[in-house]
This record gives sequence, structure tokens and C-alpha cells, in this order.
Amino acid sequence: MKSILENKVWIVLIFISLNISSQPAYSKSESDLINQAYQSTYKPIASPRILIKNANILTGTGELIESSSILIENNKIVSLGNDDADDAEIIDAKGKWITPGIIDIHSHMGVYPAPSLRGNSDGNEATSPVTPHVWAEHSVWTQDPQFTLALKGGVTTFHVLPGSANLFGGRGVTLKNIRSVTVQGMKFPNAPYTLKMACGENPKRVYGNRESEPSTRMGNVAGYRDAWIDAQHYMEQMALNDASNLEDDSNDDQESFKRDLKMETLSGVLRGEILIQNHCYRGEEMAVMMDIAKEFNYKVTAFHHAIEAYKVADLLAENGVCAAMWADWWGFKNEAYDMVWENVAMVDQALNANGCAIVHSDSAVGIQHLNQEASKARSAGLRAGLNISKARAIRWITINPAKALGIADRVGSLEVGKMADLVIWDGDPFSTFTKAERVFIDGHLSFDATSDNSFIRTDFDLGIIEPGRDRL
Amino acid sequence: MKILKTYLFFLLCTPLYAENQEIILIKNATIMTAMEAGILKDTDLLINNGLIAEVGQNLEYNGAFVIDASNHFITPGLIAPQSMIGIQEIELETETRDDSSHYFSSGFSIIDAFNPSSALIPYNRTGGITTAIVSPSSGNHIFSGMASAFKLDGKLTEEAIGENVAMIMSFGGSEDSRASKMLMLKDSIIKAKNYHKSRSQIMRGGYFDFGNYTPRDLEAILRLIGREIPLIIRVNRARDMLRMIRFSNENKIEIIFSGAKEAWRIADKIAIESIPVILDPMDNIPSSFDSIAARMDNAVILNNAGVKLLITSQVTHNSYLSRQGAGNAVAYGLPEHEALKALTINVATVFGLSESIGSIEVGKDADILIWNGHPLEVSSFTKEIYIDGKNIDTLTRSQMLRDRYLKRLGLD
Repeated sequence: MKSILENKVWIVLIFISLNISSQPAYSKSESDLINQAYQSTYKPIASPRILIKNANILTGTGELIESSSILIENNKIVSLGNDDADDAEIIDAKGKWITPGIIDIHSHMGVYPAPSLRGNSDGNEATSPVTPHVWAEHSVWTQDPQFTLALKGGVTTFHVLPGSANLFGGRGVTLKNIRSVTVQGMKFPNAPYTLKMACGENPKRVYGNRESEPSTRMGNVAGYRDAWIDAQHYMEQMALNDASNLEDDSNDDQESFKRDLKMETLSGVLRGEILIQNHCYRGEEMAVMMDIAKEFNYKVTAFHHAIEAYKVADLLAENGVCAAMWADWWGFKNEAYDMVWENVAMVDQALNANGCAIVHSDSAVGIQHLNQEASKARSAGLRAGLNISKARAIRWITINPAKALGIADRVGSLEVGKMADLVIWDGDPFSTFTKAERVFIDGHLSFDATSDNSFIRTDFDLGIIEPGRDRL
Repeated sequence: MKILKTYLFFLLCTPLYAENQEIILIKNATIMTAMEAGILKDTDLLINNGLIAEVGQNLEYNGAFVIDASNHFITPGLIAPQSMIGIQEIELETETRDDSSHYFSSGFSIIDAFNPSSALIPYNRTGGITTAIVSPSSGNHIFSGMASAFKLDGKLTEEAIGENVAMIMSFGGSEDSRASKMLMLKDSIIKAKNYHKSRSQIMRGGYFDFGNYTPRDLEAILRLIGREIPLIIRVNRARDMLRMIRFSNENKIEIIFSGAKEAWRIADKIAIESIPVILDPMDNIPSSFDSIAARMDNAVILNNAGVKLLITSQVTHNSYLSRQGAGNAVAYGLPEHEALKALTINVATVFGLSESIGSIEVGKDADILIWNGHPLEVSSFTKEIYIDGKNIDTLTRSQMLRDRYLKRLGLD
């Protein structure tokens, strides 16, 4: 019953997040403006009919189905709990667990790859505090060896963000964890664009150190508001331009309207097409950011890092805003000092368990163990008397990030018709001693711990230790 | 009839602390000794006068405060082999940091900076760390200074239990060639030896070219050469470790590798040379061209070769996450017993503290943790903490913040 209730809440929240604002409409959509460029070229590999039997299945919808089966075919989930599958390849997963493929909503893989070099450090366009025109996907190095490490940890989808030096850091991109020479080949098909914003210490430190604006938190806020005013103005001009074009096609006198990449991103947010992913630590700053969203009529989809989300957990739940958090990082800067181990659990339980909690990594090590991070966050909640089941906690690293990335209709839970992104774990994924045994992406076995040749190595890994000796 | 003050300790919502109890008898625990004895089931442990007085079955003691620890694991207090607990409060706030010196190099000692009131102490203690080897950070100089050992009971009057127990240096890729660093290192040894020879003349006012060193720095290097303290080398590349082995043999210096991401490539050599290795088993990122061969089973391969492991966490604020690292090493094949030793007795042994801490043995300090589950599981946490036989409150600032907001959110 509970899971049905929760689904309803999700549907409501998804509607809120797609809220179309009353701003004037563009005559052309962005994809027309950019001539359909930069789109995903990812096509899943044809996948066989596979029946995985006798597994404990954490569905991501809030259920744990013990000793059950899942059938996948043609890249999709075909059925759950049905053991009759003629001609299917059978995997006996007795004693093992299945979860949806893990989704990390906060990664810098590809834009801050390993090894970390000046030549490939491409995550922060820290030359101006307002850079909504840059796109993380244009920095991604597709041969980052960290991708493979994450795959071994069960991560099937991840969201790559620009860094947090700027007030507006640029667009993020959602990628499938598959190997491709091109970033277009990794892009999650039709995933909405996102915009990285950053509160607090980072922008004011980076620009304050250069004796330029912003150097304070109030400077940060003025910077956001100025940019949104520009975006509103741009949209008005665009509408006027459209109107005059309609009146008179042959009007040669009017000045041609010049596209503005910064404004295209910001107006995309104001039209509800681009989702705000907002790096923000302190409770009062999150409240201010939600007021800015109110002033300009857009929505904050998720606060990231959100060390103090527990202080405003009710406010977040009321506004349908997710918080993406670590289980236990703290103290690296002043705004990260008030960490509580129960942060994730408290956000989850706020407003009669209607909070949207996400566990994220922001780390190439952490992304490999998001199941353990969720386990730490859950057990902290249990210690505080917040009785959160594993079936619910798994949502922190599956359906909740999928929702905040606008892809929950296709991934994040094990439901019929969804992409067959799933992980077979060799035990309870909430245990430190458990490892991902097999990882399927769109029904294709992308990693198998029992076989060295089950996964595609990045170019970097090939022969890098010595000729003929791969890194992994 | 014997009068036993028995408490159904773990069934009560509000813990009853055995505060100021001199004699505590913990009954029916699963004791992970971190010694040859291994894991002892249904075993009792008697704490008397701050020490482990007795370990065995069916112990009784008149007037002891009795704790029933059925279904609970007990381990020795964990020891962080490399941490800045007490000398760094907020990483980006320089004034809260005391982990490096602009003036001294090898002679830098962090002892006078240690802050027993740091918020990091209750957090890490609750996470299981009862002693930290507090170590300076890597600065500009090849030598960072010396580490000292502190217990984490938070007493304002705390004194180090091991003063300047090891010197720390870094070796690897940077602005200056690693070859140049090796020359600097060799020169520092020569300089210290020359200083030693002319010490009496210098005392009488004779000239000595100290270069970039102070007398204090050179005295510290003399302690290295005299094998009074080991040299911890923060290094990752396999080839660099081989060069450092050669250097240490030429100069008869005891060394310890730290980081050591590529150590598995020369595991046998490290084992033959009896060099302990401090590592984070979870750090498998090839983050530079010094650590291209990083891999998840580094710890396992080293252990199989016979290398003594000390498990650390990369981040000072969460030094206690060494426990998660140890658990992950177990997932990749490190025996559980070895993983626990890498968090306790191996650290104590390497830093000369094993007479008093690091294992559950009669006569040692009663630095003991009672866990609510398997100690290497991330889902487990400490339930009771004893340092020198005293029950330490598990309360942290984190918990107080939590409780304030649980109440505010109506979740209490």
C-alpha cells in the first residue's frame, strides 16, 4: 500500500517539476534553433531474452520482493515475478539481490577525469561567475577510466555537472555508462538538460579572491537575480521579435535578432525545460534560492551537497525540491561544518515521509560504493528512530535521482516497460561485503565480475601499465 | 551470596553509563582480539583500574559493574595511522589549521598544536577511533615533520602517548623532478651527519652552513639515521618505492610507505624488506601518472605477500571511515582478522605503542569498543566506547543538531 501512495506523490511531484510557466513562448524550440545538433546517438545493443530467478528484488518502487524473478528482453523489462519464460537464458540468482541500475546525480567524471592533468581538467569555466552558456558535455573525455570503475560499482546512469566555481556553472548532461568514442553516443536519449547553479563559499571565494564580484553571499544573490532579469528581458524581446515577424514577413528594417547562448539556457529554465541542479550547503541559503525561484517563476529541482538540508527538510518537501546529499562528508569548508549523519534519513522522512532524498557521490571513489553510502545513511536514520526499510532506502540511489533528472519514466525502478538497467549483487547491497556481480544496461550484460573480458576497457586503460598489460 | 550489580544494559532506551566505575565486567561478548587468539565467542572481559584485567569465560568479580554484551562484538579501539585530527578544524580555513610549518621541515612537531576540544574528536571517537597518529600535511619541503600519537578522550590536559614517533616525507611527481628530490634527500642526510660531527664546535659559536634547515631539523634527521624513528614516505609509484628502498638501505633508515597505490606491483620486495604499508583500500583511482596502476585489491595482494598493513582513510574529518575501507578490503579477499589488525595492533606495533594499546590482551589499556553489529559493516556503529577503562559519552555535536531538528520536524 505504501508504495502505491508514494508513487502518487511522485506523479504529483513530476507534474510540479514540468510546470509550464506563463512566460512568452519561443517560435522555435531549442532543438530547431540548434538544428537537431548534439543529440544522443546512443542505440542499445540488441539484447537476448534473459530470466533471472530466485533473487531478492529491490524494485525501486518501495518494494522488496523476496526470491522472485525478472524477465528482460529487447532492452526492456518484460515481467516481474513470472517464472515461465520459454527459450529464455536462465540466470539462477539464489541468495543474490537485484536492484535497478544505480544512478549518480552528481558526478564530474569525464570533465575532471583521471589521471588529473592540466590538459584534461575541464570542469569549471572559472573565468566569469555567470556561464550558463557552457555545456559539460563539451568537456567530457569519453575515455575516462573512472567510468569503468563506476560500472563495476553498479552505476548505469550518471549526471555530469560543471564545477561550482560559478553562480551559473553551465549545463549538465546525463550519460549512460556505456563506452563510446563520442559523448553523443553516451547521452541518455532525450534526457532534459540541467543547469548547475552554486550557492555559498565557492563562487564568493573564487571571484572574491580576484577582487571582483561576487565576494559575499549577498553578492551571489544579486548575481543570480541580475541574470534572471536578463533572461526575462531576452524572452520579452524574443516574443516581440516573433510578433513583428508575424505581422510583416518582409520587414527588412528591423534589426535581426541575435541568439544568445547564455540566455538560451536561462530562458530554457524559465520555460520549465531545463532542470536546476543547485549546489547549496546551508539551510538559509536553500530558502533564499527557493525565493529567487519564486521571484522568477522557475523551479529548483534539487539542491546538491545540501549538508544542512535537515534544517529545512519540511520546506524542501513542501516545495517538492529534492536534496542530493553525502552520507557523511563534512568539515572541508565552513558551510560543511554542521553535518549530521541522519541528514538523508531526515529529508526522506520530512512531511510524513514525502521528502525527496538522494544520495550522491561527487567522487570517483564514492560513485563505486553508492550502495554503501545509502546503507550508512539508512543505519544513521535507524539509530535516530527513523524506521526506513531497505526497499525505501534503495530509492535514494535509483528512482529519486532518476526523478530529479527527468528520466524516471524510463529508469530508476524495475517496472515492466522500463529500460532493463539492473544490477545483480552477490548479496545484500546494504552490506560492505557485497559487490556488484553483473550489471545490465538496456538488457545488455555490460559487466560480469566473474569474467575479465565482460566489459569494454577505455582507451586509457589499454596497455597503460606496460605494453600488453591493461590497467583493469 | 554474591552481590552482582546486573543491568540489562542494552535493552534500556537511555544508556546507563558506567561512569566512574573502576571495575567493569562485560559478559558474553564476541571479542575480536586482534591477536593470535582471534575471535573469542561468549567471552567475558574484566576492566580494572583502566586496564584489561582478565579475558575468559564465566568470569565473576565481586562488586563489578556488569554489562551484558550478548550478541555484541567487541574490538580494541581503532587507531588512525595517519590523521590530522586535533590539528585541523576546517580544511579551507587556514587559521583553524596547524598541520604545516612555513619555517621548520623535518624538525616540525605538531605536539603543541593538538586541540583536544576539536569537534573532530567526538565524531571520530564515536566512529571507533580511540587513538590517532596525528601527522603533519605535505607542504612545500620534502620533509613534512613528525607525527605524534594522541588518545581521543578529549581531556583538555591530554598529553601525547607517543611523542614524535615518526617523520613524514613525500616523494613523487611535482613541479621539481623526483630525481632532484632524491638528491635533496641525500644531501639532507649528509648535512645532518656534518652537523653531528661539528656539533660541539657549533655550540661554541663555530660557523655552520645550515642552508634551508634549522638545528632542530637536523637533530630530527639524526634521529632517523640513528633508527630512533621511522620515515613515512608518501609515495605511489612502484618505481619510486624501489628507489626509496635503495635509499633506505644505503642509509640504514627504517621506512614505511603511505599511499602506495602501486605497491602491489612490488609486493614481494616490500615483504622481504619488512616495510609496513599505510593505505586506503578504497582509493583505486589512477589520479596521477604516479598511480596509474591503482587497483581495488592492492591490500589483498600485499597481505598475501606478507606485508604488514595499516588501513587509513583519506579524509581527516572522517578518519573513522578506515573501517569502511577495511570492510571493502575484506570484500575483495582480505581475511577479516587481518583487516582488523590493520586498524589496530599493526598500527600500534609500527609506532611503538603496542605495549599499551592495539589489542585485547590482559595488561593493556582498556581502550574498547562495543559494536551494535559486525565492526566492519558500514551499517554498524559503536554502542559503547571505553578509553583507559572509562566509559566515554557517545554524544556528538552532530547528534545534538540532529535531535534539535528531529524535534522541529516532528520526527522525534
